[in-house]
Amino acid sequence: MNCKPMRLLLLLSAAIIAGGCSSLGVKPWQRDVLARDEMRLDANPLDAAIDDHLYFSKEASSGGRSFAGGGCGCN
Amino acid sequence: MLPRERQSTPATARLQLLAASCALLGSASSRAQEANAAPTESGVLQDWSVDSALAYYHEDGRVLAIEPIVNVSKVYPHGQLLNLNATFDSLSGSSPNGALTSRVAQTFASPSGKPAHAYTTAPGELPVDPHYSDTRIAFGGSWTTPFTRVDQVTVGAKLSDEHDFFSATVDASIAHDFNEKNTTLSFGVNDEFDSLSPIGGAPVPGSDYALADKTGGKTKDGVGALLGVTQVMTRTWLSEFNLSVDRFKGYLNDPYKITSIVDSAGNTTGYVYENRPDQRTRKSAYWENRVTWNSPISTALSLRYMSDDWGVRSDTAQLHLRWTMANRDRYIEPTIRWYRQTAADFYTPYLMGGDKPMTGYESSDSRLGPFHALTFGLKYAQKLAGVAGRSNSEFSVRAEFYKQTFDESAPTPGALQGLDLYPALEAVLVQVGWRF
Repeated sequence: MNCKPMRLLLLLSAAIIAGGCSSLGVKPWQRDVLARDEMRLDANPLDAAIDDHLYFSKEASSGGRSFAGGGCGCN
Repeated sequence: MLPRERQSTPATARLQLLAASCALLGSASSRAQEANAAPTESGVLQDWSVDSALAYYHEDGRVLAIEPIVNVSKVYPHGQLLNLNATFDSLSGSSPNGALTSRVAQTFASPSGKPAHAYTTAPGELPVDPHYSDTRIAFGGSWTTPFTRVDQVTVGAKLSDEHDFFSATVDASIAHDFNEKNTTLSFGVNDEFDSLSPIGGAPVPGSDYALADKTGGKTKDGVGALLGVTQVMTRTWLSEFNLSVDRFKGYLNDPYKITSIVDSAGNTTGYVYENRPDQRTRKSAYWENRVTWNSPISTALSLRYMSDDWGVRSDTAQLHLRWTMANRDRYIEPTIRWYRQTAADFYTPYLMGGDKPMTGYESSDSRLGPFHALTFGLKYAQKLAGVAGRSNSEFSVRAEFYKQTFDESAPTPGALQGLDLYPALEAVLVQVGWRF
């Protein structure tokens, strides 16, 4: 299976973030939208926990967003 | 992309200043900094934020699970955050045992060896153990504390207990803000210890199923590390990129999985217990972007690539689209997730005759096989005022449909032609949630 497009995309994202840190961003008074609930990286932690548990028990992959440990004997 | 009215009225300006103040306190620039403001209402949990959910999960013809989960957190005056959570799982139903579908009925002993729990699978049916049942209870907690204006550390622990499994995990991470808190660099490590006490004992990997050669309990342990950077890209775009690696050692088999031995005609002649390597190293890259496109619509797109030294490669893409309505007091959120994985090097749907596996290992656990999966979901959330003495709380309900389709390309022996050897897995999840 060819997984190169996904890898290239992820490498590109790393380059954008690493190379653009100094020129990106906002001033403190421009954070109104960023402060909204939907802009939080853990906006729905329980949804994520329940989904992660489902996928951990049905697939060979886990983690990425956070640590991959399962704490579950289901896989 | 911002609505005009949010930039023009004094009331809106006050809201923006309030939001900016929250952000300055560290609520927006990174996952590690996402602390809630402490609620001020009176009551038993007056200083705590509570997030709770009850999930119902059902696989078509297989497992049924009920999972209540609750998470409470409290923000202390100096910015420290305490988070505690508890989860309970109740599972029952049927679980595939790894054996291949056959033209004739197949009879299996239960893991416990009790004759009353032996089961027979009808011809043409996927062998499943119909007596699968388990409960799990888990507790976790974390403590986050700032130690400079731009640095904070988090330590956490998690315990999980099942009838045949116990797990303990500790983790620690540090996060550093710079570039006017537009960039956060974080690094974390974790350590997990698992103890397995399978029903009937842990099978000797690769041994003959008929001999039931089992030993006592087993252990496995793992360590992991995660390096992440979170970047505010623009006023409406937040991005996160993580690299992670983990390594597990010990008894990594599923003690209840077996592999069929078939002859050249496709007739099952016996079974062996699965035999996985006793080490596994996984690496993953994860990229998430949250963008608000205009006032009512925002998206969260995440991509993940994972590989391990068992030969599994996987791609995951997930999109959440949130449509906020009215005075931001309710929203609907459709979700779609796409996933695919290659098979582990030692995965095989069956062993042919007396042939030894080429890699020395073998497993027919479908979770290590080649497949792709799709998830469709929909969530509705409604803010409620004045419930449980809180000025604001949120009720939500969501449903998901998950379908896993096998991509197996192994040749099918003659006698098995026409049988559905790799049936799709379909599951539904329904969840209600309440946070206040």
